[in-house]
Amino acid sequence: MNTNPRNDELLTIIDLTVDFGGVRAVNNVSLSLRPGELVGLIGPNGAGKTTVFNLITNAIRPTAGQILLDGKSILGKSPDQICRLGISRTFQNIRLFPQMTAYENVELGLHSSPRYSLAEAFVRLPHASRVEKETHKRALELLEIVNLREYARERASSLPYGLQRRLEIARAMATSPKLLLLDEPAAGMNEDECKALVRLIREIHTTMHYTTLMIEHHMAVVMDLCERIYVLNLGSLLAVGSPKEIQNNPQVIKAYLGERKNARTVTPS
Amino acid sequence: MGYLTAILILGGINIIATLGVAILTGYTGLFTIGHAGFMALGGYMSAILVKELHVPFPIALLIGGTFAGLCSFIIGYPAFRSRLRGDYFAIATLGFSEAIRLILNNTKTLGPINLGGAFGYMNIPSHTNVWVVLFTLFLALLFAHMFVTSHYGKNCIAVAQDEVAAQMMGVNLLKTKLIALFISAFYAGVAGGLLGFYFAYLSPSFFTITKSSDLLAAVVFGGIQSLIGPFVTAFVLVAVPEVLRALAEWRLIIYGFLFVIVMIFRPQGLLGYVEMNLNFARLLWQKWFGRKLAEG
Amino acid sequence: MELFLQQLVSGVSIGAIYSLLAVGYALVYSVYNFTNWAFDAFMAFGAFAAFTAILWLFLPFWLAMLISIVLTIVLSVGVEKLAYSTLRRRKAPRLFMMISAMGVNLAIVNIINKIFGGTFRKFPIESVQPVFLGGVSIGRMDLIAGVISFGVLALLWLFLYRTKWGLGIRASAIDILTASLMGINNDAVAVIIFTITGVLSSVAGVFYGIKYAVYPMMGIVTIKAMIASIVGGLGSLPAAILGSMLLGVLETLVSGYISSSYRDLFSFLFLIVILLFFPNGLMGKSGEEKL
Repeated sequence: MNTNPRNDELLTIIDLTVDFGGVRAVNNVSLSLRPGELVGLIGPNGAGKTTVFNLITNAIRPTAGQILLDGKSILGKSPDQICRLGISRTFQNIRLFPQMTAYENVELGLHSSPRYSLAEAFVRLPHASRVEKETHKRALELLEIVNLREYARERASSLPYGLQRRLEIARAMATSPKLLLLDEPAAGMNEDECKALVRLIREIHTTMHYTTLMIEHHMAVVMDLCERIYVLNLGSLLAVGSPKEIQNNPQVIKAYLGERKNARTVTPS
Repeated sequence: MGYLTAILILGGINIIATLGVAILTGYTGLFTIGHAGFMALGGYMSAILVKELHVPFPIALLIGGTFAGLCSFIIGYPAFRSRLRGDYFAIATLGFSEAIRLILNNTKTLGPINLGGAFGYMNIPSHTNVWVVLFTLFLALLFAHMFVTSHYGKNCIAVAQDEVAAQMMGVNLLKTKLIALFISAFYAGVAGGLLGFYFAYLSPSFFTITKSSDLLAAVVFGGIQSLIGPFVTAFVLVAVPEVLRALAEWRLIIYGFLFVIVMIFRPQGLLGYVEMNLNFARLLWQKWFGRKLAEG
Repeated sequence: MELFLQQLVSGVSIGAIYSLLAVGYALVYSVYNFTNWAFDAFMAFGAFAAFTAILWLFLPFWLAMLISIVLTIVLSVGVEKLAYSTLRRRKAPRLFMMISAMGVNLAIVNIINKIFGGTFRKFPIESVQPVFLGGVSIGRMDLIAGVISFGVLALLWLFLYRTKWGLGIRASAIDILTASLMGINNDAVAVIIFTITGVLSSVAGVFYGIKYAVYPMMGIVTIKAMIASIVGGLGSLPAAILGSMLLGVLETLVSGYISSSYRDLFSFLFLIVILLFFPNGLMGKSGEEKL
């Protein structure tokens, strides 16, 4: 576990801690990601994984610890500032804009940094019109990448669950992130859907080179995609290593055997 | 003829104020029951500027609107600050509007100016006529449309549907809400000004909770996330009570029941999510023209 | 000095009335996350119900009060079932619930207005002799209002903290979904909460009507209660009481020493100042949303 931020790290988290009332949800967690890595964050339910995401995006404030993006602290910055600095995420319980179409959801991500002024909005000068046209093109491209182009005009709330998850990924990509946080992208999916998702994420990772941190319970997905995996249990970091190392780590196995919810436990591949 | 003109003028004024509330409540999802207060602020300010300081009428209207917009920050800023949860804004709009009315009721003179307190501000020059209202209405609708179709408008919609997700996607909540609030207060202020120059008289009794409820009703019935819906409803809600005088007494009771019924059975209102755009007009034109061709 | 004490007592008694309303508001808000604008109407309804019972049915005060409480409970629960429950189950956005609540408010207040007219009426009880406590004359009704209000709040506290039902309510205030997963019946919770709302608003309505006047728009005073609840710290019942007492006393002092017409203006300014410097109220904790 590295506590000295190296210059080549994109995300550095040092001794991150958060207390909720009397409960220590995250306890001195340190992790780091180098640009372009696809890293997994796993652990039994309640381990604090989503809390770590919430801390990174400053949806909640840490009690202690450091979070550095490109070596600079992002503590105390508002979530929208953090988005503009290059961190984007999907949510455990999908948070699409329900009454907006798939297209509009993605389009919103493209506006994360204002590209024309308010005055220009009122009087649609050529500059603003051009920006809108570019946005239109890019939004359709992103939908194409996740194979949702034909659903562009469908209301997000009316899309089937699996497609909603893909749409959330497209929207997260729209903000041109440096770091992509995926919170259980395969939740609720069956085998075939998982395989398709793995293909999609791998393709996105290969073409766009987003640094990605992924929370996931489907072990097949994690082991398949991630180069490195962090394991959290009860708020503390339990282990870190390659998929093979993690699978054979006795402490990890023990932590998961106590977990009744998800039948897909770690299996040696 | 004079009767029709009156309906056009009052209807037009109501539409302008309603468009403002549509942007704030219909598009940004922020409940307000206090826009009568902004009408009062804009109305009195423009009237004072023209009557006492002889400022040209159109400029006075703009300053009145801007004044109302700036005053809106008094409640907007404390209420919208980050990490605040709660209906602070909604409650503050009510308190604010009542506070304004109270101050106006109790202020007989403001320095050398005789505001009249509860008796009202009198002898305001009569600048409002049907053409002024129609022209202002046209501008109001145009700029509102430009705003809601721009990415600032889309940010507002995102805030209305899931403000947490919006923030994670880069939307600055405070700024977005303040912009929507300012515009809505500006529109209300201009409408208030037009009202004063029409009646040649302003009284705090014009700007009660009932007026705020009327504006909200037009948006609720007309439709969430729509300009054309509230546009139509705002006019109808002025025209109908005039025509059905007897119904006027029951108006608020009917509105009350309709609010509940609309929310339960058709929360998007009459024309919710329907936006005016060329496509819509084109479709309508094609349908109508196509039918004509088929017949002829 | 005597004036000051009288003002203080008057402030405490109005603060007690505000407390009833503020607690009712905070209770609905903490469980359902929206502002129940219809509270306004319930209060007026309660006052008019008692008023009618005394004036037209010649019933004694305490019986009229009881009838008022019962009728307001019926109204309150009825409103919940008809206007809110569908939206609640649909998980409608807060805006829609508030619009529905405002609709209920408009309808009821204006029906009362249509039936009774807008005149300010004196609540029909004989003038009572003031009570002398420590050389200071205190309005007897102020005293009764204070005692009853605090009595009701105490009963409410007992209910919330010492009964099984109360535990269910408190659990629902924290997270209504989790509470229902734990076996708490959401519909029963709704009935209980709105019953409590009915009691609080009718008692507040009657005493407010006695202290000031009975008129259809009297419910506007609930906005003071909402302000008090925010000032104390939204979502917390003790904070609502703290905010109410503070507001009641300060407001009365302003009214007595500065000007009575600016009393309402003061509450509004107080709200703004508090929000600027204490964004979560005096006692509040910042609420984090679950992601």
